[in-house]
Amino acid sequence: MSLKQRFDGWIFNSYRVTAEGLALLRIFTALFILLFLIPGSGMAHFGFLSSLPLDFYSPPPGPLRLLDGFPSLEIFQIIHTILIVSLFAMLAGYHTKWASILTGISLLILQGFIYSVGKVNHEIVIPLVPVIMAFSNWGVAYSVDFWRKKRTSAPESWPLSLLALFIAAMMFTAGFPKILGGWLDPATQATQGHLFNQFFIRERQALLAGWAVGFNQVIFWEILDWLTILFEIGFIIALLKAGWFRMFVGLAVVFHFSTMLVLNIAFLPNFLAYAVFLNWDKLFRTFKTAYSRFSRISGPKSGDRSVFLFTGVMLILFLPLAWISRREFVLTQSDLMLHEFVLVTAAFTFVVFAAVKKASVLLSGKSG
Amino acid sequence: MGHFRRSSEPVRNQSTYSRMKKNRIRKLFIGLLIYLPLQYAVVGIVGYYDAEPWPAFVFPGFKSVYVYDDGFEITRTIFDVETLHRQRSHDMPPQELFPDIPLSQIPGFVRTHFSDEETVHNISEEGKAWLKSKAEEIAGFTPNAMHIIELTEYYRQTDEGAKLDMALESGRITILF
Repeated sequence: MSLKQRFDGWIFNSYRVTAEGLALLRIFTALFILLFLIPGSGMAHFGFLSSLPLDFYSPPPGPLRLLDGFPSLEIFQIIHTILIVSLFAMLAGYHTKWASILTGISLLILQGFIYSVGKVNHEIVIPLVPVIMAFSNWGVAYSVDFWRKKRTSAPESWPLSLLALFIAAMMFTAGFPKILGGWLDPATQATQGHLFNQFFIRERQALLAGWAVGFNQVIFWEILDWLTILFEIGFIIALLKAGWFRMFVGLAVVFHFSTMLVLNIAFLPNFLAYAVFLNWDKLFRTFKTAYSRFSRISGPKSGDRSVFLFTGVMLILFLPLAWISRREFVLTQSDLMLHEFVLVTAAFTFVVFAAVKKASVLLSGKSG
Repeated sequence: MGHFRRSSEPVRNQSTYSRMKKNRIRKLFIGLLIYLPLQYAVVGIVGYYDAEPWPAFVFPGFKSVYVYDDGFEITRTIFDVETLHRQRSHDMPPQELFPDIPLSQIPGFVRTHFSDEETVHNISEEGKAWLKSKAEEIAGFTPNAMHIIELTEYYRQTDEGAKLDMALESGRITILF
């Protein structure tokens, strides 16, 4: 096989997608962003930004330096409205490609202004996912676009390879500075140092943080330093095979879960990107089978209704969680939000189940 | 109502692409394989001389190790406000003074605007008035001055857990209102 054929195989055949699976992913992505990942978590924060004196407008090097200060609240309201409308259009699959791209652009603009107080947060995966997935034609099924009999294209799998490339490259940028910073030096326990910083300075003291601050096993903390770097740099190698990449995504979930328990940092935006690599077609078939079994309706109708059922289940799970989380009456010892804790824990539980299932299949195969 | 569905057969994309489209996608990947390492180098250089550029495809590095001897050295900033002759005073962490700024952005916000004397002394009258009103809201009195104090704290692990060894004032900048 020539290099070109291998390269093509990696781009076009690493991941398999179906119209139905992509439809479920589109619905999940739209709801996840709408309820948990809107920049600023509402208009109040933009009201604050637009009221800041010019002294505190410090945009990072980039396009926002072309402006002299924060825009007025009205401008923020317009961009915010565009974001919400485009997210609903994406959810319904109405002009899906453009709605997804517009979602990404408006997310990017709002994030940029939030970061213009002097600190960039690394959440670019939130706009990246809808923009990249727009080209997968994820509005090809179970969408207004299909209903209107608009000409639609076939679903494409290469955007998943593209997203994998972005994730791997970004993970590398997280791991490489740690090597330069001295994380591999046995005399430094960098993870433990960050724990102290988060615990005492940022007062992130929920979950296992209190226990971890008192846990002084040098070897344990040093192993964590090394594992963190191996895992972050290893993503580049994992990029070569879809199976390896999915395994690293699973490891990432375990990593973020442990980081959440100890440092109270959830990295929820990353989970939006990780979710793209789930087997959404299998999930669609599971919902369809379950619906057909209970309703005794099969055929095309069962497909439509199982997608509505999936949307309903997502709403039933996400809406109360988002509502309770905003009340902030739990996890008061930290800025960690309840929805972050629940969603990351759910992802971790799923990964553990999947790993156990995979291991039992492998073991039974060997013994058989 | 029509059915929102398509065939459930997995799509084998290879056969559906026109050669031209496939070429464009291939070029996109090649371009990104060149662009991503280059932009990382640019992020490093610009970040060193100025600040981290945005938008950029990077994750946080958490490079620092905070280690000194057999303990940990951590820097914190506190804002201390007072009336004339320090009849009343109140000190607070930045997250208390700026509750509207997410905790994840507080260290960067403080570093950018309050870590060097020149920047602080260049704060406009409007900026000072805003800071004064924020401090007044929290402290409950009208302050005449705000001290931005940088403390370096040294923690050590003991059998009873982590203990603060000592805290040294490593910097102080004053704003008079």
